[in-house]
Amino acid sequence: MNKIYKIIFCTIFLILQYSNSFAEINITTDEGIEVFQDEKYYLLKKNVEIVTDDYLLTADNVKANFEKDLYDIKHIFAKGNSLLKSDSRNITAKGPELEFNIKEQILKISGINSSLELDFASMYSDGKIDVYNNTGSFSLKGEKSKIIGNDIEVIGSDIKGKFSNTSNTNEIIELNVIDENISYVKTESLEMYAQKIFYNKEQDYVELFDNVKVIRDTETITGDYGKINMQNQSYKISSKDKSKVKVSLSNNDDE
Amino acid sequence: MNYLLSIKKKYILLAIFIFLIIVIVNIFIQSIYFKNNITDNSINFKNSESDIIKPKFSISSNTRKIFITADEGSFLKEGEILLKKNVMFNANKFKIFSDNVRFNKKNQTASSITKSKFISNKTEIISEGFEINDFGNKINFNGKTILNIK
Repeated sequence: MNKIYKIIFCTIFLILQYSNSFAEINITTDEGIEVFQDEKYYLLKKNVEIVTDDYLLTADNVKANFEKDLYDIKHIFAKGNSLLKSDSRNITAKGPELEFNIKEQILKISGINSSLELDFASMYSDGKIDVYNNTGSFSLKGEKSKIIGNDIEVIGSDIKGKFSNTSNTNEIIELNVIDENISYVKTESLEMYAQKIFYNKEQDYVELFDNVKVIRDTETITGDYGKINMQNQSYKISSKDKSKVKVSLSNNDDE
Repeated sequence: MNYLLSIKKKYILLAIFIFLIIVIVNIFIQSIYFKNNITDNSINFKNSESDIIKPKFSISSNTRKIFITADEGSFLKEGEILLKKNVMFNANKFKIFSDNVRFNKKNQTASSITKSKFISNKTEIISEGFEINDFGNKINFNGKTILNIK
């Protein structure tokens, strides 16, 4: 009897491996497909839907570049009402234009109301959102660029950063925010404004440059440069013109 | 000890043997299913008047050659032939099956407005028609189209 169990176990194991190697991609379009064999791409026209085991991609039109043959898709460029959704990977990307480099795991979303929702943060921009999954780096460029995480909010016209995906929980480990008008970073205890804000998780400090304003509870400090130790929340604000450093305390206690 | 390591070789070999039989049966069933699908798509012409029986043509360029076969063919105008029943375009990398295909011998183009099936390595396309241009470099599949990649 034990022998039969072992044979059944081995057979089921092999069948599962066999069925996994046949992961399917189903693509439907309303107005057809144009295949360019020498140029190695095809155009999927109108109401395109691409369904795989991992992803669902919908868009008005899609251009797919392939490597050897039609099945070997390496790059997808979706235009018009693009949506990429993966429940298994907790990703939802939306935008007028969406680029997905499958081999290099690069996702680019661009245009008004672009958004990318990940399990640890949501990114929004009217310009461009780029995520390089292999290296963990990301960038947001353009108006209304914003990141909202569990305990962080970031606003700026040029946001670059890196997330860690080595630990069980993903988190932002590097952040460079630049905005000619003003950048904004909010953590659980601090609100920070400056033209440039840099954060490094390893060194665990935030650096702020130009038009610096730090708000903590009822305390507001302004200056030209600031450095905040995120571990003990202590900070130093300085200015080229010493009289420019201002500390103001407001009393919000009504009692 | 790891459970897999404790299994004797002969059981693994027996399991591989059973697995191979399943794979072979699967491939066999798929090939029968594919044949049936192609036959189902064919259209029966009540009027079987035709100018050519079992016509053979080709679209060729420096880089590729596509062989065209059909059960019947009729001349439409100079250089243009209507290929009917079990029309097949057979290239090195793909095959297209359809019925009622207009083939222009002079321009080396072909088009169909009937249900068509494209088969290539791990790829299948079903559309409401197709066009072949640029000596087979450009193939347009028209209407509602399904592309299945395995």
